[in-house]
Amino acid sequence: MNQVLVLCIEDEQEVRDAILRDLEPFAEHFQVEAAETADAAREVLQEALARKDKLGLVLCDHLLPGQSGVDFLVELKKDERTAVARKVLITGQASLEDTVKAVNEAGLDSYIAKPWKREELQEIVVKQLTEFVLGNVEELLPYVSVLDGPRLLEEVGRRKADK
Amino acid sequence: MTEPTAAASSGGSMTVGRMITLIIALIAFTIPWLINFPGLSPEGHRVLSVFLLAVVLWLTEAIPLHATAVLIIFLLILFISDRALIPLPEEYAPDAVSFGQYFATLADPILMLFLGGFVLANCASKYHLDKNLARVVLRPFGTSPIWIIFGLMLVTAVFSMFMSNTATAATMMAVVLPIIRTLPPGDRLAAGLALSIPFAANLGGIGTPIGTPPNAIAVSAMFEAGYDVGFFDWMMMMLPFVIVVMVAAWLMIGWFFRSDTKEIKLQIDSKFNLEPAAIIFYVTFAVTVLLWMTEALHGMASTMVGFLPVVVLISTGVFTTKDMQSIQWHVLWLMAGGIALGAGVRHSGLDQWMIGLVDWEQVGTLLLVALLSIISIILSTFISNTATANLIVPLGLTLAASSGVAISPVEAGVFIAVSCSLAMALPVSTPPNAIAYSTGVFSTRNMMIMGAMIGVVGWVIFIQFAPLVWDALGLMPEVTPQ
Repeated sequence: MNQVLVLCIEDEQEVRDAILRDLEPFAEHFQVEAAETADAAREVLQEALARKDKLGLVLCDHLLPGQSGVDFLVELKKDERTAVARKVLITGQASLEDTVKAVNEAGLDSYIAKPWKREELQEIVVKQLTEFVLGNVEELLPYVSVLDGPRLLEEVGRRKADK
Repeated sequence: MTEPTAAASSGGSMTVGRMITLIIALIAFTIPWLINFPGLSPEGHRVLSVFLLAVVLWLTEAIPLHATAVLIIFLLILFISDRALIPLPEEYAPDAVSFGQYFATLADPILMLFLGGFVLANCASKYHLDKNLARVVLRPFGTSPIWIIFGLMLVTAVFSMFMSNTATAATMMAVVLPIIRTLPPGDRLAAGLALSIPFAANLGGIGTPIGTPPNAIAVSAMFEAGYDVGFFDWMMMMLPFVIVVMVAAWLMIGWFFRSDTKEIKLQIDSKFNLEPAAIIFYVTFAVTVLLWMTEALHGMASTMVGFLPVVVLISTGVFTTKDMQSIQWHVLWLMAGGIALGAGVRHSGLDQWMIGLVDWEQVGTLLLVALLSIISIILSTFISNTATANLIVPLGLTLAASSGVAISPVEAGVFIAVSCSLAMALPVSTPPNAIAYSTGVFSTRNMMIMGAMIGVVGWVIFIQFAPLVWDALGLMPEVTPQ
């Protein structure tokens, strides 16, 4: 069964747990995975792609051990299998230069500054996943209850007629 | 469930279940080639094999519904047309139907009626006429929950008479969802609001020949049987009872989901699009509906009128080439498959033979009517309403036309079409149900109880009560010689 993957990359365990807690409402409808580094994330991603899952959303810290978050996002943008995934940076320490690179080369969709509020993060996740689902998923109804319902339903109305 | 499981959306992948279904379909197809059924013509045997194949594939959706439809057309051409690959025996060959006639089902007049409806509906959605009208019409209903439910049901039903039930339900749910979010958590009213939409869409679809595909399939088959039921005729017969059942459904929903909430705030900002293209569309829409209603005055058949918006809106560039690609051709082709199958069944005498298997004079009228409608309701609760109509309508009409049966083919057609729309007890019963259910606002149990109650009330009104009124008022169309 093909699922939509939500990938969270954050090296500090406390912060990672906080993000995962905020993502809990989405866990029933999406495959939510977390990784400590870009390398670990790549591994999770390869497994998912091998299962024919799609990458829907990446929530990525910038300062990571090894490859930086922005460089990882740029890499995702260049791979055609993950280019359409929505990309969000969660960070407090990205320089202007890094941020510009993220916008211009990785097609950054949203930026969450640390510390964030639960509602703020969830609102951004809903908005970004709704965009992703509208553009990349055929069957929208399963997501009406968890994402932006009215927007999805309007699209269903445009697409569908009676069977 | 997080992702679609329907075979239709999983592309070419082949699951074990699907493979088994296809093998069963193939076996069903082969049976009439191996076994000789006494009394059935050679052509009848061939159509029977296509019919059995269609039953298996439409019941299981092993391949998309419209794929089955085109397969049917192709098989009929290959096996029983005048250009059949394996020709029919000499004595039957001169009677064979031209292969072109089976292809022509893809542009059957009734499909042109539907095409007109699709073009209007697509434009309505493009210019947000549906959403804006919904808000304007809802305004006078104030803030009292019960009247807002009434307003929602009224708007939904009227839209779904002229547009697809599914598109209407989706648009209206998008209007309702923000209202529901303003309610306190756990308010029963939320479920009432959400349920009112799909039920009104299903019921509204009964109101016109283009309300939902089963109606059109029935009208088309009636026409073949010599009964010309026009747009207005159909509305005259059905609309009064649609209103009765709607009111009953409204009262049931209002009572069942009553709550302490006394006031609902509606967001009613509507801004009508007034650019020239939109105005051309509004005028075309109004003229088309007016012409549909007044067939008796000008004599232009509703199928001919249905082509008017197609021509006008394409010529004026209101309906663009890109818009044309968004037409739901698969729905039209699914209906075409049904029309072709019906034609094949009739021409080969398969219907007569199947109906001859039972001595219907021994079966009372009441039981017969119940049988027709209940089979349709049960089938369409689980499978597509259109596929149900495709399978049942040809047999039902022939049954009604045979001697010793006390119902007319028009009644049989109407009963089957209405029964398909009355099946609304499960989320899978109709696309509008599935859409409403996707919001997660109510439980399956809520939908089952209300859907079954409305289904029963509808059955009593439409199947048992309405025919008495039609007979008394002389609304039943006479046979027109062709």
